[in-house]
Order: sequence, then C-alpha cells, then structure tokens
Amino acid sequence: MKSFLQSKGLRESLRIVLAVTVGLALGFIITLFVSEDPIGAYKAFLLGPLSRLNRIGDWLEESLTLILLGLTICIVFNASQWYIGVEGQMLLGAMASGCVILYLPLPILPRVILAFITAMLVAAIWGIIPAILKAYYKANELVTSLMFNTIAIKLFEYVLKNFIMHEKSRSVSSDMIPKELRLPTFIPDLPFLAGIREMWMKNTSVSIMVYIVIIAVIVVYYLLYKTPFGYELRTVGLNEKFARYGGININKTIILSIMVSGCFAAIAGVHLTLAIHNRLIQNMTSGLGFEGINIAILAGNNPLGVPVAGLLYGYLRAGSDVMERSSDVSRELVFVIQAMVLLLVTAERLLPTIQKRIAEIRQNNGNGNGKNKNAKNVKEGETNVA
Amino acid sequence: MSLETVIRSIFSTLFIASVIRISTPIIFPAMGGLIATVTGVPNMALEGIMNVGAFTGVMVSAYTGNVWIAILAGIVAGVLMALLLGLFHLKFKTDLFMAGLAVNLMSMGGTVFLLYIITGDKGNSSNVKSLSVPELSLPLIKDIPVLGEILSGHPVFTYLAFFIVFLVYIFLYRTRYGTHMRAVGENPEAATTMGINVVRARMIALAISGVLAALGGMNLSMAYLQLFQREMAAGRGWIGIAAVHLGARRPLGVMLAAILFGFADAISNQLGSLNIPSQLVQMIPYVTTVTALAVYAIQQRQAAIERMKRYQKEHIEVLATGEPQGE
Repeated sequence: MKSFLQSKGLRESLRIVLAVTVGLALGFIITLFVSEDPIGAYKAFLLGPLSRLNRIGDWLEESLTLILLGLTICIVFNASQWYIGVEGQMLLGAMASGCVILYLPLPILPRVILAFITAMLVAAIWGIIPAILKAYYKANELVTSLMFNTIAIKLFEYVLKNFIMHEKSRSVSSDMIPKELRLPTFIPDLPFLAGIREMWMKNTSVSIMVYIVIIAVIVVYYLLYKTPFGYELRTVGLNEKFARYGGININKTIILSIMVSGCFAAIAGVHLTLAIHNRLIQNMTSGLGFEGINIAILAGNNPLGVPVAGLLYGYLRAGSDVMERSSDVSRELVFVIQAMVLLLVTAERLLPTIQKRIAEIRQNNGNGNGKNKNAKNVKEGETNVA
Repeated sequence: MSLETVIRSIFSTLFIASVIRISTPIIFPAMGGLIATVTGVPNMALEGIMNVGAFTGVMVSAYTGNVWIAILAGIVAGVLMALLLGLFHLKFKTDLFMAGLAVNLMSMGGTVFLLYIITGDKGNSSNVKSLSVPELSLPLIKDIPVLGEILSGHPVFTYLAFFIVFLVYIFLYRTRYGTHMRAVGENPEAATTMGINVVRARMIALAISGVLAALGGMNLSMAYLQLFQREMAAGRGWIGIAAVHLGARRPLGVMLAAILFGFADAISNQLGSLNIPSQLVQMIPYVTTVTALAVYAIQQRQAAIERMKRYQKEHIEVLATGEPQGE
C-alpha cells in the first residue's frame, strides 16, 4: 500500500517536472526567435533570482504572497467552487489593514493584530454575496466573483483617492507606514544571529510572514483533512448529490468555504501593505489573484503542495523581472510559460494519448529505423516512467 | 455639466446610438459563448480570444494595409486559440475551466509580449499605423429624421453583430446541425447513440465561438478605437458569459442582456461628466451585471419551487384518486 502511494505521488511529481521542463523549453524556443542574445536572456531568467542576496529576498517575498493566494484558491477548489474573487478580497484586506495601521491610535502589537483581524473580516464579508447567490440561487460564482473583483478595485481607488491620499502628494498613495509598525524581519533578534540579521535586513525585507505562511499551510491542511468541516467541504466538492444524501448542509459549506478562503487572501493583502509596499498604492495587487489559481492547480489542490508551487512560480516571476531588466526579452514571456505548464499539468489524457500514438506508429513501421523514431522511442520510455 | 444636461443627453438619439455601439463588442462574445454553452462546452477563454483577435487585426492591418485581410487573420487567430482549447479539453481531457484560464493567460501574456517586440511599447500600439473598418451609412434609412441618426453611420461590425444574432438563431433552431449541437449539449450520451459525433460538434462550437470572440475583439481595436491596448477586452468576454446566463441561453435574450450591459456602460460614460467620483460611476456596469444575475437567479429559483409544488400537487392527487394517468 505504501509503495503504491509513493509510486502515485512519484508519478504526479514526475508529470509536473515534465510539464515545467516542456514549458521552459518552449520559453527558450520563443526567446531564440525574439532575442539578440537568447542564451544571456535565458540565463538571467533561470539563474537571476539567485544571483544576489536582495534578489533572493525578492523571490521569497513574492513567493509568500503567492503561497497565501494558492491556499485561498486551494480551499474553494476543493469544494469545487470556481470562486476567483481572490483579487478583490486581497485588495480590500490590504485596504482594511492599512487603515487600521495608519489611523487607529493603539500600541504597536494590538494594532498589528487588529490589522490582521480587520483584514480577514472584511475579506470574508466581501465574499458573502457571491457565496449566497451561488449556494441558494445557483448563480454562476465565476462571473459574479469576477464582477466583484472589478468593483473592489474601483472601491479601493475611490477610498484611496478621496479619503486616504493627501491632496498635496503627487502619487496616488497613502503615507508611508512608520518603520516600527511594519512586520519585522524573520530572523529573531538573538546575539549569535546578529551578523546574519544585519546583513539580511540591509538587503531584503523578508518578514515574520514566513512563519505565518508556514502556520497557514498547516492550518489549511488540518482544516481540509482533519476536521469535520474539511470533510464536508471535500465531499461537497467531490459529489454534491452524495453530500446532500449524506446529510451535509451544502449551502452552509459553500458559503463558509468562500468566507474562510477569503481570510487567507486577506493575509496576503496584509503582507502587501505591511511588508512589501509599506503603504497603500494604486494597482498594488496587479493581477496577483490569478496566480493563485495557477499555483493551486499546479499543487493539485493539495495544501502541502502549495508552498512548492508558490516558490516555483515566485522564482519564475522574479526571474522574468531580472530578465526584463538585463535583456531585450519582456517579462510577459513568463505568462506564456505558465499557461503552457498549466495546460500540460491538467491534461489528464495527454500522456496516454501520446503513448497510444507512438505504439501505433511503432506497429505500422515495425522497428524504428530512423533517428527520429529512435528519439520517439526514448521519449516513450520516459512517459512510461511517468 | 449639470444633471439636467446629462438627463437630456440620455434621452437623445446620440445616446441610443452610443448604446448600440457599446453593446456591439459584448454581443459578439456573448453569441460565441451561447453557441459553445448550448453545445456543452462553456468557453471560458472568450476574454483571451478577444485580445488575440484585437491584436492580430491591428497588426495585420498595419502591415498589409488591407482591412479585410486583417479581419480574416484575426478570425484565424481566434479560431486557432479556440482549437487549442478544444484540443486540450476534448482530446487530452483537461478541465474546461482550467484550460480556458490557461488560454486567457497565454493570450494576455502573448499579446503584450508580441506588442513589445513589434512596437517597443507595452501599453498600446499607437506606434504603428493600423486601419479601422469603414462605417456604413444606410442609403434610405439615414434620411429618416430620428431613426437615421440612431441606425445609420455605425461601423460595419455593428450591423454584422445584429445580423449574427439572427444567424445564430437560424443556425441553432432551424438547421439540422444546430439541432444536433443542442442535442450534444443536452445529453451527449443520447446524441452519441443517435450517431452524432460529440467531439466534432463541440470542436466546431468552440471554433465558432472563437470566430465570434475574435470579431468582438477586432470591433474594439478596429472600430471602437483604432489601436490595440494591453488587455483590451477589459472584462467584456466575461460580461459576455454573464449575458449567456442572463439571457436564458436564447439568442434574443442573450442579445437583450448584452444591450443591458451596453446601456449601463453608456450611462456610466454620460455620468462621468457629472461631479460624482469617477470610480463610483465606473462601477455601474459591473454592479448592473451582478444585480441582473442575482435577480435572474432568484427568479429561476422561485420558478423551480413553483414547478415542484405543482408537480407534487398533481402527483399526490393522482395517488389519492388511484388513477395512474399519463400526465
């Protein structure tokens, strides 16, 4: 039994590795066509994030946000709810936390904690309307949540421009958040770590969010697999009729799944406000919400896989930034690669179809007698392993 | 500008003409979404295909100098994206929703990537000189006082959009193949036993939706504006999907839903000149979409409950009288 489980997991991860490799290869082929110095550009893309300490920091920071967004989507997708209002929930969470931090005169610790709680509440409440419409009236949650995203973006801009922004300031943004209210660095202030801490803080601002994200991953795993709510949620996701027959309150589960997922989107928003941008600015989420979907899918909707997928996509994003700055290839290449990986990972029948086709070719031609066919046979060997 | 002038302008012929113009790029993807949805493959990539169509149209028109070749190229590009979606969903069993998202992502990234390579700009294509489709003034109608102003002088695409609504109706309800497609959407197993090729019907439905979404995109970049902008569709593909739901999957209903969104958009354009924060005004089309979807969903739910009650009543009466009848 154990070996069986292992082999299945191995197969899945091999499939993902294969998909990522094919995606990166495709990206390289595109680079070959468009770049003056394709090798240099691709080297910057693949190795760039590791080349300097501050770039490693950027990669980790980006990944933390992405992991939280992946967890958000992971919860709703496990309930088979195609709710993708993450962007709006994240943005409003960021706004709520920013307001609390900037305007509530409280001591530091309670203020930061209150910022987290307010953000989570706001995000959860923002999800209620699409959730109720879906649960009770079967309104397509995909469309409503997308509409709510745009509404949230406009609402954020409205509040930012009319209530938060200073009339004198040139950019559309709030004041900078004071240093002591930002999330502190994740390396604890211990004597023997002082040197590393100093160096790390000078270059990056990776914060204690690292620990919060680790806890969040464990919480989501526990929630989905070890609690009655998680069981109900997954049952609804697998088969709604069966869940109803089993006496599960489907409407409640759907609404709760969307609200709970919103809490993690809100933490991502807090991360943007209190650690990355350190203020509220226009376009602060810039399409990050959709990345959550890619990550959840790459992780197979398993919360334990989300950190790996998040680190991978964070790496690709950071790499594409480096590539854009140091070569003539623009960072949008990474979206094409991601889309390819997404298609290949979710294509359940892709490998069997290729295997069948190769077997047919083999049968028709007897033993491979060209170089081309040998190559194909080699590939078949690979796919059999996968 | 005062409220009075805004209200007066809303009741003007120019406003009605602008509603028609703004509705056009929603009608195209909505019709595409309709055909795909009734065939059982709700196309979630309309948004991305619109971007691809808009981009291809602009670039080909700039380099060939021929609008019609450009339109053809845009359509081909749209169909290719739709077939990519179909290939992965129908042959490789990718979840349709996820494949749609992937195609959207690829279109969004791909168009900006190519835009940068071709024009050196990531925002829009104003560096290259692209063409727009001609406007059509209807010979006799343009001389009628009010009607002429409303109906005449729109880009060719606008007339095409309304004509396509008619064509889609004829196709789905009056032709053999359209009926087959609806059968495939209703019950694929039954359709298979009747000898209909389900995969082929769905592939064709996706291809048609690709054609229509690409036309919608080109309507934006070659008629509405005369250039391509990053993420030009700006949610119109998704609003098109909302229109399919709202229009109860009927061509006429879907068209009316699309016009409702066009109307909300036109209103928000007019209110933009008032002293209301622009962000609130810009919310109007999206709030309208959600409200309309909510009202429709609630109404459907009530109708279903009503039906169930009636059924129960009849059923129980039959049981009570002990006469099992056909109805």
